[in-house]
Amino acid sequence: MTTTPRRESRRAGHVRGGQGARVTVRNTLIAYAFMLPFLALLVLYHTWPVFFGTYLAFTKYNIINPPEWVGLENFRVLAADSQFWSGLKNSLKYILVVPVIQFLSIAVAMLVNRPLRGIGFFRTAYYVPVVTSFAVVGLIWTWMYQQDGPVNAVLRALGLEARGSLLNNPVTALYAVMFVTLWKGIGYYMVLYLAGLQAIGRELEEAAVIDGATRWQVFVNVTLPGLRPTILVCSLLSTISAIKVFEEIYVMTQGGPAGSTYSALFFTFSRAFIDFQYGLAAAAGLIVAVISIFFGLINFKLTRGGKADA
Amino acid sequence: MLKEAVSRQPSAISPTYAELRARRRRKDLLANTLAYGVLVLIALIMLYPFYWTLITSFEPTGDIYRAKLWPSGFSLRNYAEVFRGTTVPFWRLVLNSVIICTLGVTLTVTLAALAAYPLAKMRFPGRDLIFYAILVLMVLPNEAGLIVNYITTIKLGLLQQTNPVLDAVRQYSAVVLPGIASIVGLFLLRQAYLGVPIELIEAARIDGARELTIWRRIMLPLALPTIVAFAILEFVAYWNSFLWARIMLPDKELMPLSAGLLELSGTFSTNSRAVMAGAVLTILPILVIFAFGQRYFMKGIEGAVKG
Repeated sequence: MTTTPRRESRRAGHVRGGQGARVTVRNTLIAYAFMLPFLALLVLYHTWPVFFGTYLAFTKYNIINPPEWVGLENFRVLAADSQFWSGLKNSLKYILVVPVIQFLSIAVAMLVNRPLRGIGFFRTAYYVPVVTSFAVVGLIWTWMYQQDGPVNAVLRALGLEARGSLLNNPVTALYAVMFVTLWKGIGYYMVLYLAGLQAIGRELEEAAVIDGATRWQVFVNVTLPGLRPTILVCSLLSTISAIKVFEEIYVMTQGGPAGSTYSALFFTFSRAFIDFQYGLAAAAGLIVAVISIFFGLINFKLTRGGKADA
Repeated sequence: MLKEAVSRQPSAISPTYAELRARRRRKDLLANTLAYGVLVLIALIMLYPFYWTLITSFEPTGDIYRAKLWPSGFSLRNYAEVFRGTTVPFWRLVLNSVIICTLGVTLTVTLAALAAYPLAKMRFPGRDLIFYAILVLMVLPNEAGLIVNYITTIKLGLLQQTNPVLDAVRQYSAVVLPGIASIVGLFLLRQAYLGVPIELIEAARIDGARELTIWRRIMLPLALPTIVAFAILEFVAYWNSFLWARIMLPDKELMPLSAGLLELSGTFSTNSRAVMAGAVLTILPILVIFAFGQRYFMKGIEGAVKG
């Protein structure tokens, strides 16, 4: 995003009459020929779903018969559906994971940014959960959470009462799933923050230390403002993926026990692929999309558009 | 900096300086020990679940879910059971994954590499418009994607079943096609191309080289590090994907390994150790790729963010 094409071509224009060959019909055709396969698939699988999905939200559709326009009927049905509301509530509750994951990944990034021997090993180790499939991660944690499993062993060692799997308990199940999201996500955001920290560079921090700033002052006045663009990107990504939480739940709890982990997208999924009510599912999806946009904007405001003012 | 300033006038301050340095070293040692302690603790939390799965998968019998540091016994029975493929056709799933990854990675990288070239280095009407439209698409959340893509897949007839060979081809394409137009990939490669000096390209154009030749002979080699990074990221993504294939494929025989693993856990609930062996086997290729391509990985992700 550092060089927009316009700026690029203007700069090139200064040096030698424009970027690339002359604009002719032939060159334009060549350019589009290069992009054609990509654009075709992009339109079919990315653009078309946005429009057709929005349209479907206002229809009754079961694939066999053509979509039938029903106006706001789907939204009325959703408003009266307690399962949808509890799914939405759980998806919003899931946002709790965002501040925790951001705080921890910044802390971990600062930790692995230290020039210590063997730090490469730790960075790699923290990244292993990131590159593992949710299919595997979900299964592993289902086992870890079993009644006599390692998680309960740790809880007992800490003096906590641990009976049964945390995933089978309606009070703890959602938090147990959140922990897996946290565990899998930290490494990803750590890498992003590490890149952000390295972009700040040591000079500025060292200069502040020489000027007599304490570590905390350096962190608050130099490091954090410098990280602001990264914080925007990361909190945006993690908020949106929290609202859209699905795969963890699909593998580990299927929305249970007693609907305690039923998320908004799990609702969408089961309406579409179990009940074949594609219109209703699309309407639920549209609501989730609007909510993610809303939270995206809030994020943008909170981080002041991610502009570093250091 | 401090060291230089002090050493220029050694005799007067040196005792204090030595003291200072000793104190500093002690403080550093303490801070480093503390840092290592925390680093090791986090590493344990991150890696123990994998390690635990690995050792449990080797145990023939015993308390399966118990927390432990060493396996209580050792046998390859669980692996033998997975390999035998009595519940899921393991080798077939591996083959499916290999085909899906090969097709997916090749097509994704090629199409992004082609499309990024005009956007970075050619002038034509609509260039900025296309670029910004693609960026908007990246930001736009697309919750209906799964549903509409499923409908599209059916309407394209990709899930029809007529004869075995054709079915396989159609279903592989049904798995792969929705993921091929990668906006992030387009972005990364455009970014890499922007760094290629325009003089090189213009010299080639003056020599009468065709654009496709320029792309193949100049752009691709010079963008190779980004291409490798992107290919590794895509390999991991295709290898790990399971949801789309599981939702859509009617034929369990044609599922990739990650999706098949869930099938295994569903049908093989009596022998969780065999499922654990399956999980270990599913992770293995990723770890190998990761070990070799770690550096590229990180670069790829940083690039994706810095844009």
